Amino acid sequence: MPVKWLLYWQPGSAGQVSGNILQEVMKSIESLNVTRGARWEAKAAQYRPMLRDQNLPADFARDLQSIFFSENPSKFFFILRTEHMVVEADSNVQDIMERLQTYRNRLTFVFEGYQYQLGDFNLKAGRAVLNGESIRGIVLEVEYLPVSSIEKSRTLLQEFVELWQDVISKHSLNGKISHLEPPFGSYLLSDTYSWQHTAVQYTNMMTHFLSQRS
Amino acid sequence: MECIMQGIIETQHVEGLAVLLQGLCGSQRQAVKIHDLCLKSGPNLGQVPSEMHLMCDLSHQEPRWIVRHVGGAMRGAGAEQMPALVRSVLNCRISNNALRFFHSLGYKLDHELLQTGFKFQFHKVVPITVSVTSVCKIPKLHMIEEAVPITPGLQLVEVSASTSGDNYTEVAAAVSGLAEQLAP
Repeated sequence: MPVKWLLYWQPGSAGQVSGNILQEVMKSIESLNVTRGARWEAKAAQYRPMLRDQNLPADFARDLQSIFFSENPSKFFFILRTEHMVVEADSNVQDIMERLQTYRNRLTFVFEGYQYQLGDFNLKAGRAVLNGESIRGIVLEVEYLPVSSIEKSRTLLQEFVELWQDVISKHSLNGKISHLEPPFGSYLLSDTYSWQHTAVQYTNMMTHFLSQRS
Repeated sequence: MECIMQGIIETQHVEGLAVLLQGLCGSQRQAVKIHDLCLKSGPNLGQVPSEMHLMCDLSHQEPRWIVRHVGGAMRGAGAEQMPALVRSVLNCRISNNALRFFHSLGYKLDHELLQTGFKFQFHKVVPITVSVTSVCKIPKLHMIEEAVPITPGLQLVEVSASTSGDNYTEVAAAVSGLAEQLAP
């Protein structure tokens, strides 16, 4: 599977993310010789354990997250951050979790936007929306199609991001593209990229946005 | 959902049954070796206690993990008329860190079993599986090499098929019809 980097828009001083900034970012992409593709979506969630008695000790996971990608609808991913664990399952695992009734959805993050193709690169630009209400961030994803080794693609992807930053700067946007280095090593994920790597990147990004002031 | 009928056979007659099944099925039997781990929710987790099974299929080169939830059987007058048990079942493939995952969520191992034997796949109205297995207890934690049959002289025969909500009558009849052919 090709390597993907998930990036985010870091506003300049006193700036905030908004739908307008996303529109400008998308215009900057469309100013290149891109082919616009379909919409994309990824849904992430954070859970809390359901306790029979709140007063009793509860030694259960408090950091359970999940993510589902519209591009990969047959799969569903769970992340346990403290345990550095990513679990991949068929998407009907949601039905099983529903029947077990042990963990409840605490909040939902939807990443959604448009995708583009530019030669050997697939690009995505979209917004991250918390609980269907507030935009908490703007995300950009770049996928380099020929390579599935994370280390071998690093330099080229870094150069691409710098070029992309130059293109966006010409559109007078106050801010920059930032890369949140994903903790693949601590999850014991290999150098060969996979959907599990993508799951870690997106849930890591959700955690990052939640830690920022809205 | 699933339609299922279960019975037992004396171990001395298993090979005879295998010959009958091969004749009826027309294809080769497949090995069954499943490590079944039953997990139950810890105290205070969930509004009501819950359980599920992690099944590790050891019959292939690479173990394959499935999480299985068995719900209640169909009840009522309609259910009593059914020739086979109809129950809610969900099976889902999952990565091989599932046991550690559910343990972290607060599930504890209640018991584990090893099922070894064979199965045949039929197609009568719908795909039907007939399996003949020895169910073994595992005296030491996860030590499947030391598994011993719970009932050495007897093996479990299961005839089962998946069904949706709208064709279970038909499927139950097909399962029952096949099971009757296997009865001594």
